Amino acid sequence: MASVELRDLTKRYGTVAVVDDISLTIEHGHLVCLLGPSGCGKTTTLRLIAGFIEPSEGEIRVGEKLVSSPAHTLPPERRNMSMIFQSYALWPHMTVAENIIYGLKLRKLDRETIGKKLNAILATTRLAPLAQRYPGELSGGQQQRVALARALIVEPETLLLDEPLSNLDANLREEMRFEVRRLHDAYRYTTVYVTHDQSEAMTTADLICVMNGGKIEQSGSPEEIYDRPRSEFVARFIGSSNVIKGKGLDASRVDFAGTSLRCVGEKISSGTPTAVSIRPHDIAISAAQRQGENIVPATVVRQVFLGGNRDYMVEAKDGTQLRVLTAAGENIAQGSAVWLHLPPERCRALAG
Amino acid sequence: MKGSMFSRRHLLIGSSALTASAIFSTKVMSAAPPASPITPALIEAAKKEGKVVWYTSVDLPLAEKIAKAFEAKFPGVAVRVERSGAERVFQRIGQEYASNIHACDVVNSSDAAHSIVWKKGNLLEAYVPEDVAKFYPAEHKDPDGMFASFRIWVSIIAYNTNLVKKEEAPKSFADLLDPKWKGKIVKAHPGYSGTIMTATYQMQRDLGWEFFEKLAAQNIMQVQSSADPPKRLALGERAVMADGNEYNIFEISEKGGPVAPVYAKEGSPLIVGPTAMFKAAPNPNAAKLFCNYSFSPECQQLIIDVGGLRSVHPQTKDKPGRTPFKDIKTMKDDPAAVEKMSDEIKQHYSKIFKV
Amino acid sequence: MTLAIPAAPAPRTFGIDVSKPVLYGVAAVLVILIVLPLSWLFVYSLTDGKGSLTLANFYRLFTESAFREPLITTFIIATSSAFICCAVAAPMGWLVARTDLPFGSMIRALVTASFVTPPFLGAIAWEVLAAPNSGLLNKIFRSLTGAEQDQHLFNIYTLPGIIFVISCYTFPYVFVLVANSLDRTPGELEDASSILGGGRWYTARRITIPLVLPALLAGALVAFLQAMTLFGSPAILALPAGFHTMTTKIWSLFQYPPKPELAAAASLPLLVLTVILLRAEHMILGRRGYSVVGGKYGAPRLIPLYRMRWVAFVLCMLVLMLPVFLPYAALLNAAFSPVATTFLTWHNATLHNIQFVLFDLSAASLALKNTVILGTATATIGTVIAVVIAYVTARQAVAGWRVLGFLATAPIAIPGIVLGVGLFLSYTRPPFVLYGTLWILLIAFVTIALPSAYQQLQAAFRTIHPELEDASRILGATRLRSLWEITAPLLRTGVIATWCFIFVGVMRELSAAIILFTSETKVISVLIYDLNESGDLGAIAVIGIGMLLITFAVVTAVNRIPGFGTVRFRT
Repeated sequence: MASVELRDLTKRYGTVAVVDDISLTIEHGHLVCLLGPSGCGKTTTLRLIAGFIEPSEGEIRVGEKLVSSPAHTLPPERRNMSMIFQSYALWPHMTVAENIIYGLKLRKLDRETIGKKLNAILATTRLAPLAQRYPGELSGGQQQRVALARALIVEPETLLLDEPLSNLDANLREEMRFEVRRLHDAYRYTTVYVTHDQSEAMTTADLICVMNGGKIEQSGSPEEIYDRPRSEFVARFIGSSNVIKGKGLDASRVDFAGTSLRCVGEKISSGTPTAVSIRPHDIAISAAQRQGENIVPATVVRQVFLGGNRDYMVEAKDGTQLRVLTAAGENIAQGSAVWLHLPPERCRALAG
Repeated sequence: MKGSMFSRRHLLIGSSALTASAIFSTKVMSAAPPASPITPALIEAAKKEGKVVWYTSVDLPLAEKIAKAFEAKFPGVAVRVERSGAERVFQRIGQEYASNIHACDVVNSSDAAHSIVWKKGNLLEAYVPEDVAKFYPAEHKDPDGMFASFRIWVSIIAYNTNLVKKEEAPKSFADLLDPKWKGKIVKAHPGYSGTIMTATYQMQRDLGWEFFEKLAAQNIMQVQSSADPPKRLALGERAVMADGNEYNIFEISEKGGPVAPVYAKEGSPLIVGPTAMFKAAPNPNAAKLFCNYSFSPECQQLIIDVGGLRSVHPQTKDKPGRTPFKDIKTMKDDPAAVEKMSDEIKQHYSKIFKV
Repeated sequence: MTLAIPAAPAPRTFGIDVSKPVLYGVAAVLVILIVLPLSWLFVYSLTDGKGSLTLANFYRLFTESAFREPLITTFIIATSSAFICCAVAAPMGWLVARTDLPFGSMIRALVTASFVTPPFLGAIAWEVLAAPNSGLLNKIFRSLTGAEQDQHLFNIYTLPGIIFVISCYTFPYVFVLVANSLDRTPGELEDASSILGGGRWYTARRITIPLVLPALLAGALVAFLQAMTLFGSPAILALPAGFHTMTTKIWSLFQYPPKPELAAAASLPLLVLTVILLRAEHMILGRRGYSVVGGKYGAPRLIPLYRMRWVAFVLCMLVLMLPVFLPYAALLNAAFSPVATTFLTWHNATLHNIQFVLFDLSAASLALKNTVILGTATATIGTVIAVVIAYVTARQAVAGWRVLGFLATAPIAIPGIVLGVGLFLSYTRPPFVLYGTLWILLIAFVTIALPSAYQQLQAAFRTIHPELEDASRILGATRLRSLWEITAPLLRTGVIATWCFIFVGVMRELSAAIILFTSETKVISVLIYDLNESGDLGAIAVIGIGMLLITFAVVTAVNRIPGFGTVRFRT
């Protein structure tokens, strides 16, 4: 298995840099997720790795071998990678079995070997009864499994997945998320997975790279990204988050609506506007006045009962609206004055 | 001076003898090659070549009949007939020779001027079939043996007997200018038809271009080939034709079609259609055989009986029911003049008739 | 579940990738096909007979009335034709695509039949029908009304007559464009209007018609171009009518002595005008062109015509009489009748014409052989080139793909007779003297067929998702291999349709063939023209009918070859 390395990778169309100076190392056997909204460059990055596009600047190496550079790009058919496309790209004029063994026939294996491998993968993906059907006759989930089988049977060094679950309905998506991770653990390929869905990323990835506007905003493990977002974009994108805008007081305090908030995270410069993120379920809300560090007075604007919890929208003195999730017990009416406690270790100061 | 061997008298005799022989020898050199009969060797050689390509403007059914008769007489030699209007035949041969393509063996054009052009361009093979040497009058064969008159006919006025009564029919070209014929005349075009080119030359020489200018005011229906006006008459599309082939009129009327000829008082233009073979013919022996056959009494009778043409061969008989050729007043033909003036005639005609 | 951890990956073998050389090779062929004749055309138009540079040719072109009048005539014919075609084809297209007109598919098939008929054959048939004195229709008119012998209802040998015949065989282009555009307009767009209260006529006026206007304009332009560049019909009808069009004038410049410089100069205005009009069409249609719009739109709701249904049907059939029923009847009449314009009866029916063509006409079998050989070769080569180029432009597979796409459509701008002249000038001189061989005709026909073949295949390519080929490539197949294994089978119906289209086009091509043929390389269209020159209408009718039968037979047969016909996948 090889590792995949992107160095200063840039792709421009005209003057617009769709992928802007990306550097990333993907270790052997790891599953890396490129996560971001549409237009952030994640699919372009994937296609650069696959070899369908040539880079404007930078290089891509697979296991020390240079495969992409502005001067020369190895075509996809020579990279020993496999890819699952968003549309699955199953060939409608071939049966499921013919689709799956296509790659093996290209590698000129003998019929016996092909037969054995085919049966093995059909068993793994539970497609055996469907082997002679045509893709047009299958459901979405079945098609996705065929695409998976076709990609895995050739035992590639690198596996690329382009939003493979986005065409499935919600229940199937949940189930398939675990399936993808399970298969990855079994075969241990180096996998690059592109998605816009953060729950997919959180479930499947060893490493998440959050991308925005062609750049990687932050890369890290799922816990790191969630607990310690470094920028407003990442904070908003992963899990829902309140982002408070205040003014820096000193290295660890931010002035917000009259309260001096002690925060952790990025270094705060005195006098500069600073953003602080805090998750809605980390804020404690109480109708009774409280004293102490990081207490912010506010008014309840709206309240919704969700069964397991309550969803409050409160407004602080300076007009900032915050979302608060609490246990269902505490029922505070609209218009009431409340006091919020923002635990310092959960207030993350954000960069820039 | 009595003592010298060569006296003046001897010199005189000698020099005159030399001169005389010189004159005779040039005459001998420019004379046509000797008459060539059909020999078994020629037939064999022709069979080996297997086919002869004949570019002609002879009417298609007649051309195909001649081809079939030839093939019946000489099995093993096929005839490929390439028929189009004489001007197009000429244009095609010009195009082909300019590109070094030699596809044509024997050519027969209804524009005698063409043969002169080809002869000048050194494209023709001198070959004199036996019949030509023996029977053909001098004005109907080339002194150098390059071509001879395969067929002659006249371009005539004619009318549709269903539409026009005999008494009302025009008797001369001048009659055609009568306003009662406006919109009822069909005629062919010298730019496409060798026959009409020759006829137009003779008519403008004898009647002047003013005749054509007045004719243009009659709203004539313009067609291309000289074989077309008789067919239009038969269709009933027009009542009268101003020019066109006499032989087509015979062909139609003798099958019961409603057409009849008129021999204009001023004289009918005489058309001569020579046959020649090319030096660069791809099938030379077959070509010679075919040429020989063309001038034989058998073939010449065929062109009279089937084709309605006239023949120069004295052993042929005119078909009864047709005006004998000697009784027809014709205009005089002059292929050399046609050759010189052909471009000018086409331009002038196009200007008058607008096409 | 136990899972085997795979051993070392299977070995990969890489074939030599010939994709790039093949693609560049085809591009080079294309450039030669098109650039060469055009350059010679320009060169000749700017030289005089002796080879020195001059503008005299153009000067003559615009000052001499012998050239100016054909220009004006051609313009009048083209404009009138385009107008008539739109006025007739647009309502018909709307009726077929948008209403519950009975037998709509039969009407579409009949329009296709009129498209397959060569315009010159139609012109000859209309001669038989509408010649002022001998025409069948005029004879009927006279016998019905007792009119005088020289009175007639129709005279085909007039400017309106020519415009009529040209319109008959140009209107299918407009019809197809309008009907297709209406077929593809989503039903929801009209539903939205009716939900808001628009009645069906109001909707038709405010929604449907504006949507289809671009296709109509494009159709008008195509009709104009077709009418402007036709050679066969004017050649047959204009001379008896007493005038020239630009195409017949160019043709006449090839008579002896040939004036290729003037012919070249006369060709250029046609070329320039065509380019301008095509740019205009492109700007109007934008990039939509003929592509199939993907998506899950519903089929349009048909507008019910109630009692007008049958009236509309009768009207459509009346229109279709003109290019199809009447001319075909006239041809049948001419084929079996002793004289073409005599009505066929049981008594006078004769097989003489058929006998003549089959046994006596020695040029017929050669012409037939040449036509079938050229038709098959042109269709095959043209389809292959068009597939490769459509692939290159649809997938942007090589640098400069935009230029290739432009070159593939460029020949539309070259009228057939102009191309004939250009090819004649290019290939009658060393080093490539192809004149007199079938090769020069092959080059001409492929060049003429390429643009529509390319556009059809481009549209077919757009229905194939590029990821289908990407999936093949990532598994190890080269571009060409992917094209062969994945794309080509999916294109099957499109490829077959294109092949047939080109074959039919070759059978009816006259304008380039008339300049490039020699006696050895004559084709059927030229043979018919020759026969018309000498007035052999019976033989023409027999050959024409034979031609139509062959065309229909080939198209049907090709669609039946196992594996070629219906494609086995389901989508």
